[in-house]
Amino acid sequence: MRRSARPLSGRGGGACRNSGRDRTSAFCYAVGWTQHTTGVQYIRTAAIIQLLLGNIGRPGGGIMALRGHASIQGSTDIPTLYNLLPGYLPMPRAGYDKDLAAYNDSHAEKSGWWGEFPKYSVSLLKAWYGAAAHSGNGYCFDYLPAMTGDHSHLSWVADMADGKLKGYFVMSENPVVGTAYGGLHRKGLRRLEWLVVRDLNLIETADFWRAAPEIERGEIRPEDIPTGVFFFPAAAHTEKDGSFTNTQRLLQWHHKAIDPPGDCRSELDFIFQLGRRLKELYAGSTAGKDRPLLDMTWDYRLSGPREEVDAESVLHEINGYAVSDRHPINGFVDLKDDGSTACGCWIYCGSYKDGVNQTARRKPHWEQNWVASEWAWSWPHNRRILYNRASADPEGRPWSERKAYVWWDEQQQKWTGHDEPDFVEKPPSYRPPPGARGKEAISGVDPFVIQTDGKGWIFAPKGLHDAPLPTHYEPQESVIRNPLYPQQCNPLRMEWRRKDNPYHQPFDDPRFPHVLTTYRVTEHHTAGGMSRWLSWLSELQPEAFCEISPELAEQVGLKNGGWATIRSARAEIEARVLVTNRIRSLKINGRTIHQIGMPYHWAGNGLVRGDSANELMSFVADPNVSIMETKALTVDIEPGRRLRRISGRPRIPQLPGREEDRDLPRARQRKGSSWEYELEQGKEGH
Amino acid sequence: MDPVRTVPLESDGRDIDTAVAVLSGEASGQLAETHAQLAGIPEAFRKNPPATYYGQPLLKQSVWSIDIPLYYFTGGAAGAAMVLGAAIQAGSCGARADCDLRRLSVTCHWMGIVGSTMGAAFLIHDLGRPARFLHMMRVFRPTSPMNMGAWILAGAAPTAIVTGLFINRPGVLGWIGEAAGYASGFWGAGLSCYTGVLVAGSAIPVWQEARRWMPVLFAASAATTAASILDLFYEGREARRITRVFGTVGRCIELAAGGRVEQSASRVRRVGRPFRRGATGVLWKAAGVLTAASLVLSLLPDRSRRTQRIAGVLGAAGSLAMRFAVHYITNASARDPRASFDLQRSA
Amino acid sequence: MEALLSAAQAHSLETRAARDDTRNTSARKGFFTDTTLCIGCKACEVACKQWNQLPDDGFRFTAMSYDNTVALGASTWRHVSFIERPLDLGGQEAGGFSWLFNSDVCKHCARAGCLESCPTGAIIRTEFDTVYVQPDVCNGCGYCVINCPFGVIDRRPDDGRAWKCTLCYDRLKENMEPACAKACPTDSIKFGDLEDLRRVARKRVAQLHDRGMTEAYLYGVDSANQPGTEGLNAFFLLADKPEVYNLPPDPVVPTKKVKDAWISFAFAAAGLAIAALGSVFAERSVR
Repeated sequence: MRRSARPLSGRGGGACRNSGRDRTSAFCYAVGWTQHTTGVQYIRTAAIIQLLLGNIGRPGGGIMALRGHASIQGSTDIPTLYNLLPGYLPMPRAGYDKDLAAYNDSHAEKSGWWGEFPKYSVSLLKAWYGAAAHSGNGYCFDYLPAMTGDHSHLSWVADMADGKLKGYFVMSENPVVGTAYGGLHRKGLRRLEWLVVRDLNLIETADFWRAAPEIERGEIRPEDIPTGVFFFPAAAHTEKDGSFTNTQRLLQWHHKAIDPPGDCRSELDFIFQLGRRLKELYAGSTAGKDRPLLDMTWDYRLSGPREEVDAESVLHEINGYAVSDRHPINGFVDLKDDGSTACGCWIYCGSYKDGVNQTARRKPHWEQNWVASEWAWSWPHNRRILYNRASADPEGRPWSERKAYVWWDEQQQKWTGHDEPDFVEKPPSYRPPPGARGKEAISGVDPFVIQTDGKGWIFAPKGLHDAPLPTHYEPQESVIRNPLYPQQCNPLRMEWRRKDNPYHQPFDDPRFPHVLTTYRVTEHHTAGGMSRWLSWLSELQPEAFCEISPELAEQVGLKNGGWATIRSARAEIEARVLVTNRIRSLKINGRTIHQIGMPYHWAGNGLVRGDSANELMSFVADPNVSIMETKALTVDIEPGRRLRRISGRPRIPQLPGREEDRDLPRARQRKGSSWEYELEQGKEGH
Repeated sequence: MDPVRTVPLESDGRDIDTAVAVLSGEASGQLAETHAQLAGIPEAFRKNPPATYYGQPLLKQSVWSIDIPLYYFTGGAAGAAMVLGAAIQAGSCGARADCDLRRLSVTCHWMGIVGSTMGAAFLIHDLGRPARFLHMMRVFRPTSPMNMGAWILAGAAPTAIVTGLFINRPGVLGWIGEAAGYASGFWGAGLSCYTGVLVAGSAIPVWQEARRWMPVLFAASAATTAASILDLFYEGREARRITRVFGTVGRCIELAAGGRVEQSASRVRRVGRPFRRGATGVLWKAAGVLTAASLVLSLLPDRSRRTQRIAGVLGAAGSLAMRFAVHYITNASARDPRASFDLQRSA
Repeated sequence: MEALLSAAQAHSLETRAARDDTRNTSARKGFFTDTTLCIGCKACEVACKQWNQLPDDGFRFTAMSYDNTVALGASTWRHVSFIERPLDLGGQEAGGFSWLFNSDVCKHCARAGCLESCPTGAIIRTEFDTVYVQPDVCNGCGYCVINCPFGVIDRRPDDGRAWKCTLCYDRLKENMEPACAKACPTDSIKFGDLEDLRRVARKRVAQLHDRGMTEAYLYGVDSANQPGTEGLNAFFLLADKPEVYNLPPDPVVPTKKVKDAWISFAFAAAGLAIAALGSVFAERSVR
């Protein structure tokens, strides 16, 4: 909260001074803003401020998430998320979206671009199931898996720990280090029948069965773990074709420079081969449950001596094509809901326009204007700034020459400018007639075309699970009472009440008096699987360290360059100490609260090793997107290295959890919420 | 015209660039001394006490091993011996004239051979790539004391060898030996003290202010060593008289030069630290004590063989200790960033 | 349109145009490292190591802010210094704090101590006016190591030779800019013709002074600024005393001062000869 309080006070002053007709300001935030139980509301706060300051849809404005992966935006566009289909179409919900008609009906909006929802969903189904999908069978809609509840990451890890899952594919992620509470993850891994890991290096997730803190402590023996682990070496990004989608929705193609060594393969190849072999395995089956696998189109172009999938043929499918002649479709306005078009992701439609890989364009900036629309391709429709209608006033004139972006050309009766306008022929004077639907329902002065009313929502009547307006709540584990409300924490936060997921007291926990936060350093990358194996990066930051203020150092007896042990109810870790004035103690209501900052890149495998900061966290998450709260928790710290004991349980006294102090009685009664995991008797975690 | 507001190198305090402006004001005729300033560095930083970067050294320590002080010792002794040998040739009409002195001269030249070849071996062994030692001869570079030293050694060792082998021979070979003897005296003089230039010609702060005295110190020490070694092994009366004078001169100047080195190095107190403190301080002082003791003993009226030998041991030990002290002081000074910073700010 | 070009964009156009003139090989090349633009990302360190294929220097946590590299050496040719100070930079309000960064590098001095002391001629002045150690000639005598007033060049005990930044001599010969300059995301490391760099640097100092950062100054920009080295081909814009960055305030190439020692050498050698002759003739007179 302290981070988002600043925009409302000190920092916001700067944004206010620098916003107006002639100037715009942008919020650029590191992804740590989101990793709180109120994470999404923080972003909402920034969005509200930017709306009020008029900084959306204008050059130099907006909100930029400085994200840590080259294709992080792509990972939600063509999603790796359980609750989304490509292009942000919702995953069907069991019991609600019984068939295609019900599904389209509940998700299509009456106005705005989501009004065309059926065109996107049908085209997607045609892309996936090809000839087998037709209007008679709802385009094979019932082949799609449906959600029966919360299948988010932490939830199924908890399920894994209870032995409910058999197998697990982990590709290019290292959850026992990068996600909260590696100990609980590893507990889950030990209950699996099989685990498949694909990565460049032997990351800790793949090695959990022989190199883990609990094995080092002697609590668990490798020979007692039944899980079969398969490790597949992966190709690096230079060894495969494909695209990245950056945080600003820019798709850029990367070209294969060399062949991957030995048995290394790309994810594309792996998934293709897996699908192909599964299809062979189930070929000839007459069971209904196998139809989704057998009817799935899987006919990508293969090339080269290793018969690798041609990534451009996948882009062709994602872009969309006319079913009759497979000619690429140039924009999602041309998609149909009658089965004549196929499209793997409607927002990417146009990325393969005219059969040319638009994402591979590389026109240098000195050969085009400053918007550089001919470098790569952005969605939607190569629009670089979304909602750019907002860069012009209600009459269609730019707010200022300096910030001119798109404008209404009265003579030609169309919108023009430096970028592709959100709407081309709709004049500023257009007002929708009564009964107008879809795009026609948006007027000529409403820039936010994806919203049903075309307006920017300061009050959000729907879309967020927790609240229409942001406010302040303390994190799950805090050092003080919420100064604003008696309700301590986000009343809709996701919790996992399990014995093996112990929470600290909500505030004033005498065992854990300090605040810990985690972050990155430039020299390493996320869980270290790509950086702690390289000598040139490892020597820049060789050891796990924590940063503390001189006051805390003096209070606890820590020395710059020495060792510290940091402890929570979940784990105990050690780190080197860096004493610095950059970490300031917080003065709250006359009390001094100390902060400890810790980069989270280290773990047990690699050229440089250390203890993993995320071991300290618990499972608790934001209710909208189930993102873990890893940026604020309470801990204790003392000098010296951690003891290597046989028994791994931290030596902390048991105190009552005081769970009730987090919620007012009203909020405590939210049993039955789909977001709360309830323990059944006798199925305790630990 | 350069609009940059850096302070010019030399300023009379007027802030007027005479290249573009004319001094014609009322007070332009006023005399003001120019004073060199720390060029370009803002005024505010000049007065504050110097900081360091976490106490880290500014300079790199020398990568030389003990081979190098051993080379100073052996090469120095060899050089001084060659000079003495040549002087004896000159003063006694060649090696033929007097038995005792002739043998002394030959001994000197053989010391030259042994010392310079041992020295060359030390140097080659100390190289990072010993097989490439001949690369020293690729260039003739007067700016580099090490290159000049390589040429000096390249001249000294062969002439010493030729002298040693031929000086006693009859006929033409003998004349060649004679000539070589004088040549080796010339080269030997260089060999004995160019290493002082080598050390002083580096960036190490402790030797900067002492650079005029280092060659003198090394030359004198070389004489001390040569005389001491001769004292150890040589008996004859005439020889003893020569080595005694030579050695006394050497020891006296060594002590005086050593004192001047320490004094001038300590003009800025921090710079002279290694002479006063730590293991280097002990070693340096020990060197002085040993040399002084050797001097006293050698001047005693007691001319027993035993006294002579002890004086020789002490003299050689003192010289050796001085060479090692120089070696370790170099590194101690390199390790101390304040030495460089204080010295440069003191100008 | 030009108004919307950021300063960085405009400059990169300018530098690119300047780079096209690298075919004029008589121009002196160098670096202008503007430490006020440095963000301490160490991309320069990594780019240098990768391009030159340098080995690592060991893995140890130094607790010197974020600097675990410590110093330049035989296997580290770019080193970023990190200095945390309890005072603001001029013109900034950070509550009494500033974090200074400097990407240190071989200065390629106009009068280079290493070059002038090298006995094998391994260290040469290239056609780009940079200082380069030929690894096939160097025999590892180590004299350059104690002749660098900046403590840059060093000898690896396992390799035996002396090494330092080559200013990417191999890349310059192909009309490419050095790896560190190319990798630097803020253009803190600017590469180009020395005269162009000097001009840009002086403008930058004036700009910073206008903004209130009056402590900004140039270090080694030319002979007048640093007479002891007669100017550095790789010069810097600093915001605090040189010592704070582990740079010498008044470095002098040792060869400028060595003449005194040679003169003394001549006297010492002569003196030795006189002492020897004197001893011999003194003995004769006694006889």
